[in-house]
Amino acid sequence: MQKAISRILKYGVLLSTYALVGSVLLQIFARFFLANTPPWTEEASRLFFIYATAFAAGLAFEGRYYVHLDVFYNQLSKRMQRLIDLAIPTLVLVLFGLLTIYAVRFVMLGHQEFSPSMKMRMSLAFCSMFILGASISYYALKDLPKALKQVAP
Amino acid sequence: MIVVLIIVFVLCLVFRFPIAFSLGLACLMYLLLAGFPLVVLPMKMYSGIDVFVLLSVPGFILAGNLMNHGGLTEKIISFCNHLLGHIRGGLALANIGASMLFAGISGTAVSDTASIGSVMIPAMKKEGYGEGFSCAITAASSTVGPIIPPSVPMIIAATLSGLSVGKLFLAGAIPGFLLGGGLMVVAYLISVRNNYPKHPRSSLKQVAKGFIETFWALLMTFIILFGIIGGVFTPTEASIIAVLYAMLVGVFIYKKLNFWRIQVIVLDSMKTSASLMVLIGFANLFGWILVTERLPQMISAEILGFTNNKYLVLLLINLLLIFVGTFMETIAALLILFPILLKVAVSVGVDPIHFAVIAVLNLIIGLTTPPVGVCLFVASSIGKVSIGKVSKASLPFLAVSLIVLSLVTLIPKLSLFLPRLIMD
Repeated sequence: MQKAISRILKYGVLLSTYALVGSVLLQIFARFFLANTPPWTEEASRLFFIYATAFAAGLAFEGRYYVHLDVFYNQLSKRMQRLIDLAIPTLVLVLFGLLTIYAVRFVMLGHQEFSPSMKMRMSLAFCSMFILGASISYYALKDLPKALKQVAP
Repeated sequence: MIVVLIIVFVLCLVFRFPIAFSLGLACLMYLLLAGFPLVVLPMKMYSGIDVFVLLSVPGFILAGNLMNHGGLTEKIISFCNHLLGHIRGGLALANIGASMLFAGISGTAVSDTASIGSVMIPAMKKEGYGEGFSCAITAASSTVGPIIPPSVPMIIAATLSGLSVGKLFLAGAIPGFLLGGGLMVVAYLISVRNNYPKHPRSSLKQVAKGFIETFWALLMTFIILFGIIGGVFTPTEASIIAVLYAMLVGVFIYKKLNFWRIQVIVLDSMKTSASLMVLIGFANLFGWILVTERLPQMISAEILGFTNNKYLVLLLINLLLIFVGTFMETIAALLILFPILLKVAVSVGVDPIHFAVIAVLNLIIGLTTPPVGVCLFVASSIGKVSIGKVSKASLPFLAVSLIVLSLVTLIPKLSLFLPRLIMD
């Protein structure tokens, strides 16, 4: 299960990134070599970019890519540090859990909206926020047992 | 209510929450207390990321990583060594030169410190340079990167203010070279005083060979810059062209990249980019709350109530930004403070482009300000030298950076000359 989720996210990142590169290159190619530039390339690029971000956000959390300040933390006692190590995934889970839940409402709001050039339902684009929230929540949840174990006497 | 927002944010920061999530948690607390519907959370986050010019950020990060993994760092260092190695303290000068060339490829100070430092610090120590000096010069020179174009912080500043990315890139060029030049002068003087070694002069053939090897990397910077400035590409298009170019150079010319390696680099780059985008998304929500609470207007009124003097206002802003930059990552600090301070600066007659350069320069100088500048920590951990030693050795370089900052603050032409000459 864990491997499958990680694999889905990784392929999601790779496919969205290559699609983003492809649509921008098509935009450049069309501007120089074709009579008309397809009007949808900019919108498609933005969509692929947001999906690449959404798929990569959880993996970035797992890989500790998010920058933080160590200065004050390093001055604290070991016990306090362990408590903070537990608080971080817990509150991250609360934040992104709520983001995921409200992303569902956001997706529903987008069901009646259509993008200007691709005429695509905006719910498809807004789904990215659900993926972003769910993937970070998943990795925060995965961190919890280890953090709990360290705090337990 | 705004007090809760700020307190939660600061507490989370102090307790080592990632900066992006600190912003998110502070916003969440505010939304709950103020009774806003929580659907604002994904909504504002989405609108913060859904900006076309931001697509250039993953592009430049990916292009830089592809070039770096293609073995470019060593080639740039070797070229600079051939060029400057015969001068007293040649390796220190090559270190700065490499950072200036690498700037066009990487665009972030911390990655410059890590990439160049891992090669240069051990080499300098081996040749008898002071270990504190070796780390300090690496950290100081890496701050040139985010000023010399292409620069990720400048793209963020452009996104936040609606200014032209091309103009901001150009605006950073002269201050960047001034900073690099100033660091070289100080490194040379210290090297003469300590009698640091110099290499025999390289032959013209060696210099030419080094140039040919780095030519492809330098060409990438030129394609990006002239593509954007000449109006051939948008910044996003230029970044994707740079990705394609870096892949082709890495696979066919340097022969260091293959299909599987590229996948790993793409994944790594997109994770870095995603961590920035989540930060940008939450910063958009944070900014929306600040505007709803009219905080920028309040801060602006407070500062302008204290003084209307342009230079005094800029001095206050400089002090605040250096202090924040010492503790906080450049882009995070830029996202939070730039829109607020830009309003203040513009109201006392500072040009927005000039102010963007001042803001970025301040924040990157903060990265090397003792005792907690991030680049100092990275360099000291690579060199396995105590942070105290590195901090002490970094003081002359910090002094140069502050002199350059003062010049850039007091002489707007240093930032505005190139954008006006080329793009107006």
